[in-house]
Amino acid sequence: MGVWEHVVLGFQAVFLGSEAFRAFGIPISTTVLMIVSGFLCGIVVGATPGLAGPMAMAISLPILISVFGFSLDSLLPIVGFMIGIMKGATVGGAVPAILFNTPGTPDAYLTTMDGHPMARNGQAAKALRVAHFSSASGDTVSDIVLVLCAPFLALLVERFLDLPEKTALLILSLAFIASVIGNSVGKGLISMGLGLLAAMIATGGDFYPRLTFGLQDLAEGIPVASAVLGVLILGEVFKALEDLRREGGGETGGAASAGTGDRSLSLSEIRALLPHIARSSAIGTAIGALPGVGSTLAATLGYGAGRRRHEKARKPGEPAFGEGVPAGVASTEAANSSVSGANLIPVLSLGIPGNTAAVFLILAMDTITGFNPGPSVFRVPSEGINVELVMAFGIFVSMFVANAANWTIGGVFMRYTGVLARVPKRTLLPVVLLLTLTAIYVQETSLAAVYMTIGFGFLGYFMRRVDMSPLPFVIAFILGGRLEETARQAFAATGADPLFLVTSPIALAFILGAVAVIALNLRRRSE
Amino acid sequence: MRNTSDRWLGLAFLAFALAVVFVWVPLDVDSGLVESVRRSLVIGDSLGPVCAGFVIGAGGLLAAFRPIPEARSITFTNLAWVAGLVLLFAASLATMRYAGPAAAQAFAENGYRPLRNTIPWKYIGFILGGAILVSGMAGLASRRIGGREAALGVVAALLIALAYDLPFEDLLLPPNGDV
Repeated sequence: MGVWEHVVLGFQAVFLGSEAFRAFGIPISTTVLMIVSGFLCGIVVGATPGLAGPMAMAISLPILISVFGFSLDSLLPIVGFMIGIMKGATVGGAVPAILFNTPGTPDAYLTTMDGHPMARNGQAAKALRVAHFSSASGDTVSDIVLVLCAPFLALLVERFLDLPEKTALLILSLAFIASVIGNSVGKGLISMGLGLLAAMIATGGDFYPRLTFGLQDLAEGIPVASAVLGVLILGEVFKALEDLRREGGGETGGAASAGTGDRSLSLSEIRALLPHIARSSAIGTAIGALPGVGSTLAATLGYGAGRRRHEKARKPGEPAFGEGVPAGVASTEAANSSVSGANLIPVLSLGIPGNTAAVFLILAMDTITGFNPGPSVFRVPSEGINVELVMAFGIFVSMFVANAANWTIGGVFMRYTGVLARVPKRTLLPVVLLLTLTAIYVQETSLAAVYMTIGFGFLGYFMRRVDMSPLPFVIAFILGGRLEETARQAFAATGADPLFLVTSPIALAFILGAVAVIALNLRRRSE
Repeated sequence: MRNTSDRWLGLAFLAFALAVVFVWVPLDVDSGLVESVRRSLVIGDSLGPVCAGFVIGAGGLLAAFRPIPEARSITFTNLAWVAGLVLLFAASLATMRYAGPAAAQAFAENGYRPLRNTIPWKYIGFILGGAILVSGMAGLASRRIGGREAALGVVAALLIALAYDLPFEDLLLPPNGDV
């Protein structure tokens, strides 16, 4: 079967899968229903300060697996729901940022700069409209780039990279992630090393499970969900609750403004916004395609570029960025939303998660069907079907369905979620904690997994307290097993050549790149 | 002053890395860095953890000798907070684990195990332990524990229990898979 047949099967898997219900005689598939539900859920989560898309993805995964089971048919509904959350949370984050000066997600922080002044000037509805339009536009651009780039990148990797080069590429990716995230290369490397070490507990080729201290509970290894959810979710909950305690238990927020006023967006206004949206979409897409560089940086760069452009063109008397300019909202929202599609480029083409949301997507794919995204996914077989390729095209289609939901119902729905900013974090976060621990137990059916999750939660808490990003830990934990396995195979395939990482020019280039990226970031930080 | 915190952190992780490479790996891994299997050399189970140790050590060295001026450090307040959380987890998880069996011992003939998937037994530990956890967390964060926090804990634990238990027959709430 050729590529086109796989594309068609991908479409069919999304639209003609099991029927959920009929609307006006048209069958609506479960996958489409799940994508739209996930998207709406994501908006709610994004609009609730203290919650984040990855939290909702983490909690929903075991529940969805319980509903759909571990089969190929369940992959697209579950992954579609999580894609919906990922996209919805980015859009939803703008709601409290604009209405209450409280960013729902970290990358919506810069939306407050112009969004909230607009709301205070009685333009809350227009600010929401601008945020939605820009967000949906950036999302569309990013999805198109994903579809155009991921398969070709994967084919290039598969054609030109052998085992030593693939090992070197994984090392380069990890070095890049450790160096660029956070404010210290040293701490990034520590975080990454800890993740690699945790991934190696009770794995390996020997009969004896290594590094377990002889403990039976560790003999099966550390459950992925325990390490990932502990460090990412519990660590954040512990830190946020302590911050609340230090603030005296009260919660601060900007003056609330009603989401009323003129919400129309004229053609001339759209035309004025388009250059900002286009520029920020390009920035966000480029940032999203790099492993480890998240939407917060994209929003910062997009806003910065928009401000410079606006200052050049600004006439005397016109408001500057930070004083309630729609272009400020557009620059931020287009940039942070255009990360969501592009961050699947390294996931699907290389199997390398670029950010937290991508970690959970990989976790979902691996848990449900053992589907390991990577270059081999895009291999077109001479005979029969490559099921993973069909699923990859199904994921592309799911991205566009979520995008369509964003354009059609996203704007309407987000206007009604402003009230969620009122939910106090001190009420919400303990519930999220119990929900997460219950989700872990339901998946693992073992209190040992719960204890491990809490232990990793404390690790995540301490990491945050010393300004050490937990993301390199998580990504190294996910990739550690694959890195070791690829290195073992490469060593064996090269006849036990101890220099297998530097004998081929491409592998050598990757290794030099890894050293260079660390050295450059060290130099940049010291400057 | 602030530089010192990164320096100590880096040195602590350097010491940890040395302990991993020279103590933990040799004592707790069966094979060496490289092994001979059927007359060909393969990578042994020690190489991966040793490489991870080197990465941690390198990070420690960089953190110690290239400290970030504005770096934060762990304070006594942070440690006190963690101690409070540990106590709260210990109390709530002990309640979750033992409340159901204790109730069964007092009021049922055959103990907890045959009852662990029946109402109301299966909910006792989870709801009591979960309520302690949620209300305790909310109380720690807001510096007060009153009726509002207690009610929040009970309602949240009950709703989560029902959310998992009612739609899915084959799921076991904590701690029912362990008893």
